[in-house]
Amino acid sequence: MTVAQPQRDPATPLWWGTIVLRWVTLGFALGALLVHLDGYRRPDLALAAFGMMLAWTVVTSVTFGRQRLRRPWLVVADVLVTCGVMLTSPFVLSTEQYEQVAPLVTTVWAAVPPLTAGARFGAAGGVLVGLVTAVSTGVARLDVDLDVARDGVLLTASGLLIGITATTARRSQAALAQALRTEAATAERERLARSIHDSVLQVLARVRRRGGELGGEAAELARLAGEQEIALRALVTTGTAGSSGGAADLRAALQLLATSRVQVSGPAGEVRLPTEHVAELVAVAREALSNVDKHAGPEAKAWVLLEDLGSEVVLSVRDDGPGIAEGRLAEAQAEGRLGVASSIRGRVRHLGGTCVLETGPDAGTEWEIRVPRPERGRDRR
Amino acid sequence: MTVSVMIVDDHPIWRDGVARDLGEHGFEVAATAADGDAAVRIARAVRPAVVLMDLNLGSSSGVAAIREITTQLPDTRVLVLSASGEHDDVLEAVKAGASGYLVKSASVRELVAAVRRTAGGDPVFTAGLAGMVLGEYRRMADAPSDQQAPRLTERETDVLRLVAKGLTARQIADRLVISHRTVENHVQSTLRKLQLHNRVELARYAIEHGLDQEQEGRG
Repeated sequence: MTVAQPQRDPATPLWWGTIVLRWVTLGFALGALLVHLDGYRRPDLALAAFGMMLAWTVVTSVTFGRQRLRRPWLVVADVLVTCGVMLTSPFVLSTEQYEQVAPLVTTVWAAVPPLTAGARFGAAGGVLVGLVTAVSTGVARLDVDLDVARDGVLLTASGLLIGITATTARRSQAALAQALRTEAATAERERLARSIHDSVLQVLARVRRRGGELGGEAAELARLAGEQEIALRALVTTGTAGSSGGAADLRAALQLLATSRVQVSGPAGEVRLPTEHVAELVAVAREALSNVDKHAGPEAKAWVLLEDLGSEVVLSVRDDGPGIAEGRLAEAQAEGRLGVASSIRGRVRHLGGTCVLETGPDAGTEWEIRVPRPERGRDRR
Repeated sequence: MTVSVMIVDDHPIWRDGVARDLGEHGFEVAATAADGDAAVRIARAVRPAVVLMDLNLGSSSGVAAIREITTQLPDTRVLVLSASGEHDDVLEAVKAGASGYLVKSASVRELVAAVRRTAGGDPVFTAGLAGMVLGEYRRMADAPSDQQAPRLTERETDVLRLVAKGLTARQIADRLVISHRTVENHVQSTLRKLQLHNRVELARYAIEHGLDQEQEGRG
């Protein structure tokens, strides 16, 4: 990431708006100047004032068009120049013109500074400069009447609105940037979890198995490696299933259950489901596997298979243990000892799915769980 | 005759370990390579019976090397030996012509058996690979644009599902009441259809994008 590059100010379109407005109002001021030139007390001063307005319009167009030149002091100078030009009006306009309520030298061109101040400093700055411009208008008019009051309200209100808009734009950009950072961090975390799983965990698993085969001191090392394998696996599993937009990849989440005795298979691509479904199905697989550990013995192997049929997903967990003898299942259930099985059934029912447990003496046990894919998740495939 | 094996992996420690394991079990490790380009070059000179291929080869693509080797050397079989997470790559490797896939965490006994099977011309169809192939056929069936995509027969689907659930060929034969050889044939056929389709797709892509003419023009 490059450090020197500041983010684009989200209020930039507002700045460009003020530049366009300045040129439009300058045209308006030129028209007013030409209409009233003959009646002015000091036409030369009027032309000089217009020259200043033209010059300042060029200067602000160049500076405010560039983000790094939108300096606070330039915005303050903008207010001073505008009010200064406006305050030449009593010397330019004749008494008759004041009586006819002819426009001030600056006309509507003076309405721009509250907008730039709002864009730069937010609502407070916009209101303050609106008030300053309003007071300046009153002084230049040599009178405070309804027109001046109305101008004051409009100037202040426009500064306020632009200020609120600029602040809102900056806040939403900051919020968006924060959300993107969080998402990137989550993705990075998932990537790390996968890579740890594929490298370190595999090596630890190999050390554990090979050391166990060798015995003696190597067996002790194998035991230590095994402990770290379990700890690391738990570390990378927590929190990785949660993902963006309320959906997560069940395939990747299940993969983290793989050990040297548990093989996980599934499609090569992602299987996206709502986060809740992913969490529940991973819990189901975990419980079925814990059952394998408890009942099938330490030598038993287990396989987890995930299939994506579009309208439903199928999760199978099978082990090659001794299985459950006929009648034992019902017996265990009657005694209330089939905690895990009923917990799995409960979770699956909650997801609107079905599950079948197949077992028999020397046939291992096999769970087949079918869960319908919710409509929303289906679009994401 | 001893089976000659070539090992392609960019980790020297892993390469040496596998070479020693295979040497102890009576295989002849004819060559090793650290990247895909070298693998293709050396394989052409050495003509090993089996190439053991890691897919994670740093800069060069293992999949491209597999495609080169299997098209240029019809008698050489490629067995992918890779980490467990690279599903997309493994599927691509198998479509490119690899005849099997084994995770790196497999035991020495499993590795030796797999190399022996590969040398004998049989696919090494682990549960993991079966799950991926099953998923790939379903993905193609769901994609309406792919009219020529191969389909699985009902029997092939049954067999693949059982392989993916970890049953051995013998157990599958018992369960489906068919012969052991029939199970093997079904598995072979699912893989062959996928590889053939991949080759057709590549050729069509080349023609559509004028790659074939460009090559003729250059040569």
